[in-house]
Amino acid sequence: MNREIDLRGLVCPEPVIRTKRLLDDKDTQKIEALVESEVNVKNLARLARSQNVSMSCSNEGDFYRVVLTKGEPSPRTELEELAIKESQKETNKNRVGTVVFLAKDTFGQGDPDFSQSLMNVFLQTLFDSGHRPRAILLANSGVKLMDPEGSVLQVLNGFAEAGCEVLACGLCLEHYALKDKVPADQITNMFNICEFLMTADRVLTP
Amino acid sequence: MSDKIEYEQRRLTSNIKAGGCAAKLGSAELSKLLARIPSKTTPELIAGIGNFEDAAVYKISEDLAIVETIDFFPPVIDDPYLFGQIAAANALSDIYAMGGKPVLALNIVCFPTCDFEEEVLVEILRGGADQVEKAGAVIAGGHSIQLEQPVYGLAVTGLVNPKEVFTNGGAQPFDKLVLTKPIGSGVALLGMKAGMLSEGARNELIRNLTTLNSGALQAGRQYEIHALTDVTGFGLIGHLHEMAKASALKSRLNLSSVCILPEVVELAQQGLVPAGAYGNRESFNAMVKYLNKVELEWEDLLFDPQTSGGLLFSLNPDHAEQLVEDLKDLSLQASIIGEMLPLEPNESIGAVEVTAN
Repeated sequence: MNREIDLRGLVCPEPVIRTKRLLDDKDTQKIEALVESEVNVKNLARLARSQNVSMSCSNEGDFYRVVLTKGEPSPRTELEELAIKESQKETNKNRVGTVVFLAKDTFGQGDPDFSQSLMNVFLQTLFDSGHRPRAILLANSGVKLMDPEGSVLQVLNGFAEAGCEVLACGLCLEHYALKDKVPADQITNMFNICEFLMTADRVLTP
Repeated sequence: MSDKIEYEQRRLTSNIKAGGCAAKLGSAELSKLLARIPSKTTPELIAGIGNFEDAAVYKISEDLAIVETIDFFPPVIDDPYLFGQIAAANALSDIYAMGGKPVLALNIVCFPTCDFEEEVLVEILRGGADQVEKAGAVIAGGHSIQLEQPVYGLAVTGLVNPKEVFTNGGAQPFDKLVLTKPIGSGVALLGMKAGMLSEGARNELIRNLTTLNSGALQAGRQYEIHALTDVTGFGLIGHLHEMAKASALKSRLNLSSVCILPEVVELAQQGLVPAGAYGNRESFNAMVKYLNKVELEWEDLLFDPQTSGGLLFSLNPDHAEQLVEDLKDLSLQASIIGEMLPLEPNESIGAVEVTAN
């Protein structure tokens, strides 16, 4: 028998209890449950696994439709997907607290052109090796790395897409006449920069 | 216990989304938010919010400091007397976790007098008062408001010698970690609410939730303790991480030596996992490295927010076994759950390694 059950508006653990009650009924073949939150979905995924029931889930806007089907093999796939999604979210979140602070557009001091290209190599290598700092902060001539004409912006955008906060000092952008070339959500102030530097586990200044 | 009194009105835990420490705001969320509030400090404040300490410590003189904490939450259990006892044990624990002695407590009460008889509130307060008395402190007043959702807890003041304050920081490489209570109370409380916890498991849960951490601290004082916290809302993993981070080390957790409450593995398997556990997973999973395969339900238990959890000692490794013996003599389910280790190159401060052996 196929069953439909609307579990929206119910407080945890009620959705799990009601679903389990239905599953325990021998006549139940398939359950379509409507639930409100991600927590409900994760809880039902665990229930499905323990009862050897396969599960699929679709996001229907402001609720989720969870379908539990008895007697089908590989009940783990949905859960595995969920777990993978969870772990991806978490890798994006980076190792806690490394902040890269670039207060100049060169890597060390030396021949200016060479030092600039070394900076490019550093950022590219950092990106390629998979390290994702919590934030990259740009100040003073470091903000020039955000210049759309330059060759580094692409790498910085790569970091930003990977969830790393790439932020440039607004005052500095103004000074180097770059302010209108940088998206507003990547412009920050000294207060924020101080907060990052003081709360980071580790600050790198190459 | 108060089983004799019949409560006809709504159940104390009905309509409560998350009770106990599961009601806590997420750690990641909280840090982000607090970073936006300008914070000032003073030299007398020797422990504050810096390392997510359990309580604030304010130095008054060379050998006297006050320890301040506040903790309150919605009902975790329908029996009001037990709820009062649990909330009070949980609040008092923060004082013990800093090495302090509670002296004064204030009640914090939110209560809908339209939904419940006043007898219910009397029972909650009686539960709290009994615990405060057991702790050797006194209740000096409090504050109460009308609110749809009942809430109870305490603001507690304790005393400590500033030289004997225990914090999250200070753990040393190769310290052993001793935990003084079993974990899984978040899952067990949800299981109880679902009516899926056996009578025996329920009694064991309540015994643990209402046990004060005073005895555990007393036992620990006899040994060389380097760092101390209590395991509460952030789950075992979260608190291990905070301790390792504050001590600039990593920790290794030995799963097979962690004591758990009865029936919680089965409950977690069936999806009775509180929302706070998923929040903790989100906050701390990046810090966790599983050295062997760990079953999902065990992971959930490590992230499970604990209400009135045990003390977590980081101490001289030579003293750990003796401490565990002493704790067992106090009828505490204590064990050595792992150790603190120096960081290898490229390892993050505060990393938590989990091994199944």
